[in-house]
Amino acid sequence: MQDVSRGVLIFAFNTEAVDYVAIAEQTARLVKHTLGLPVTIITDQEVDNTFTNVRAGYAGGTAWRNGDRYTAYDVSPYDETILIDSDYLVLDRSLLTLLDTTEDYRLQHNGVGNMGVLSLDYVWATAIVFKRTEKTRLLFNLVGRIQRNYSYYCKLYQLRERNFRNDYAFAIANNIINGYTPNQSQGIPWPMLTIDKPVKQIEVNGDMLVVREDMAKFIPRQNLHIIDKDYLQSDLHVKFVDQICTQE
Amino acid sequence: MSELDQLVTQIKQATDYQTNKRILREKILTDLHVAYNNGLFKVSPELIAFLATWPSDELFLEDTYENPIKIVRTEFLSLCQDHYQRVMNTWHIQFEEIKRARRI
Repeated sequence: MQDVSRGVLIFAFNTEAVDYVAIAEQTARLVKHTLGLPVTIITDQEVDNTFTNVRAGYAGGTAWRNGDRYTAYDVSPYDETILIDSDYLVLDRSLLTLLDTTEDYRLQHNGVGNMGVLSLDYVWATAIVFKRTEKTRLLFNLVGRIQRNYSYYCKLYQLRERNFRNDYAFAIANNIINGYTPNQSQGIPWPMLTIDKPVKQIEVNGDMLVVREDMAKFIPRQNLHIIDKDYLQSDLHVKFVDQICTQE
Repeated sequence: MSELDQLVTQIKQATDYQTNKRILREKILTDLHVAYNNGLFKVSPELIAFLATWPSDELFLEDTYENPIKIVRTEFLSLCQDHYQRVMNTWHIQFEEIKRARRI
């Protein structure tokens, strides 16, 4: 079998309020421990990390710090890439299973809403699995085109929000590239657990996690999308990652 | 801290059994997926029963992504049985842990 390189790509551009690079470094530790894959952080900052492959200066790092995701296809050094947000904590190996299938790319369709009352369902761009193929290249190029002409696509797809969202851009591009069909059956076939309330603490309890927000969630260890950036920048989060990374 | 404040604090620290149960089930359904010969399958009792009774050694099965995947029956059956047993055991163990942690 031909050697195929696999790895994880994380975009991290700091804003005044959030140190995304620091968050991405912790996320990279989790990826390395859980999946055993190399990690590349795309950033405009210097990153002090011995195991992480950093491509500083790529993708511009413009004022809108989440708008360069479409460059992932070009900047990824891997044949098969798992592209994740820095706030996506990889705590299980489910994404690896998707790399063993043949599709060009996989998007997260499950458990999302629509882009507008008269629009389509969007996707989560938080976790995307893709292989280096022509169809994938077209997808990412199209996302770039949508970003550059966002006001046009807002009207065309009757989007509720005018702020650029990667979730919407990938949903539109996926729709176009698949002959104006949602193509949901080719997406990631399980839901993503998003913690959208403020997180006080996450604790490890054997194979279980205790996520303390207003109420505690006692859940199996699994990938988590954490919206609360204050928690992700806290010492408690670093301790949590330390705890995970010292487990067998 | 007044008694009322203490009660509010305790309630906030409580965990919702039904939410935990639902999240656990979703995770187990995720874990039931297994990759085989470039296809992705969700292992189920129906799939295992089908594989166990199919008369020939090779067949094609539709996977989660609507692709026909070539199957070596005994090999895939063994994979599915092992995978199913392991995941369901995990479900049982973690379900018991959730029940122990039940507050409301």
